[in-house]
Amino acid sequence: MFRLAIEKALNHMVNVNDINITRLDNSLVSVYVDDIDLRLFFLCLNSRIFVIENSEQKNTNVDITLNKKAFLALFKGISFEDLIESEDIEINGSIKTAQQLADLLALSSIDIEELISQYTGDIIAHQLGQTLDRIKGSSSQEKDSFVENLKNEFTTLLIAPSRSKFFKKARSR
Amino acid sequence: MDKTTHFGFKQVDVEKKQGLVKGVFDSVAGKYDLMNDVMSMGTHRLWKNYTISSSNVSEGDHVLDIAGGTGDLAIKFRKKVGESGKVILSDINGSMLNEGRKNLLNHGIIDVDFVQANAESLPFEDNTFDCVSIAFGLRNVTNKDVALQQMYRVLKKGGTLLILEFSKVENEMLKKIYDLYSFNVIPKFGEFFANDEDSYQYLAESIRKHPDQETLKSMALDAGFGFCEYHNLTGGIVALHKAIKT
Ligand SMILES: C[S@@+](CC[C@H](N)C(=O)[O-])C[C@H]1O[C@@H](n2cnc3c(N)ncnc32)[C@H](O)[C@@H]1O
Repeated sequence: MFRLAIEKALNHMVNVNDINITRLDNSLVSVYVDDIDLRLFFLCLNSRIFVIENSEQKNTNVDITLNKKAFLALFKGISFEDLIESEDIEINGSIKTAQQLADLLALSSIDIEELISQYTGDIIAHQLGQTLDRIKGSSSQEKDSFVENLKNEFTTLLIAPSRSKFFKKARSR
Repeated sequence: MDKTTHFGFKQVDVEKKQGLVKGVFDSVAGKYDLMNDVMSMGTHRLWKNYTISSSNVSEGDHVLDIAGGTGDLAIKFRKKVGESGKVILSDINGSMLNEGRKNLLNHGIIDVDFVQANAESLPFEDNTFDCVSIAFGLRNVTNKDVALQQMYRVLKKGGTLLILEFSKVENEMLKKIYDLYSFNVIPKFGEFFANDEDSYQYLAESIRKHPDQETLKSMALDAGFGFCEYHNLTGGIVALHKAIKT
């Protein structure tokens, strides 16, 4: 879900703004965020971006290792040179390709902090818990949002039960 | 070479399977959508929505939906590709394609092409499509390797194949409940709603004979795809494989 969200946002941005990414074509870039053990592979083919697992272990053009702080900064548009100077990033392979990917991420305006919080924590459980706490004596607007959350939770339960709060609770009993 | 193959849990001659599968879908075509909703308790719609949202399909793309049946995916793809894009709904079975035609018309969609074709011999040029999808169809195909090679052939470089199919349930408890449901309840639903217990018995059996997640992934890579990964839905009752032509 995490990778898919980034993939969709990047492609959307490229399409809507008609950004030419042919210079990234045929490249595979590994990005490893070491302190949260998050590894992403960015594959660019025919002007499309895929964010994949690379379980096939294909050779990459460049490997980028960085910490969470630097990863977040990338999406906030920090200059690549500044990032290199800060020594929060390690690059093995084509620096040019790394720079081109970094430029793209900076442009994407993806709310990466929000996505990471979903990756590391359990946002759905958190939201549902909060809503349940608030529901007593709530206004009708709040009740609507409770129904909306319940629908979301039910959807999660159906398509990905292991991520659902209900399933987690049942297992921990 | 092996001259028999499975048809549900039965072994049949390879040449006979296609005809038997045709019989099943001729028989269920008219009630197909109703039964899908009843049997999956509506969940197939979520699985299909997830497939569409994983597709990366955008305006102007060319999409082929194989074994498209009543056209659920084609309807959603049509909206995504916009006027400059193109969607083809193909299926081996004329009765299912007719149901698809009716369904699309009911949704006010007239600009989808219909092509009657076997997934094992697709009548399209090489490198034609940005995305090829097959939902709940591959398990009915006699020679899946050949079908996967055909899908690879008609995709452009950077194109994506999406295979949505029943798969292997991971959790033992869920597996027991699921087995009970699919072998005892589904055929009875089939009898009650569609007066056709045998066809629904076949559908339940064919699910168990279908390759599991990892096997299907290897088959996609063997067919030529550079990358393939899958995402389990509903605990692995269904898996979405996404393969990329490099
Ligand atoms: C279970 S239905 C799925 C329909 C639709 N994709 C959906 O998800 O609702 C399976 C479809 O596969 C089609 N089919 C079976 N064998 C096929 C083959 N060899 N080539 C193409 N389509 C095939 C059947 O005619 C049927 O319409």
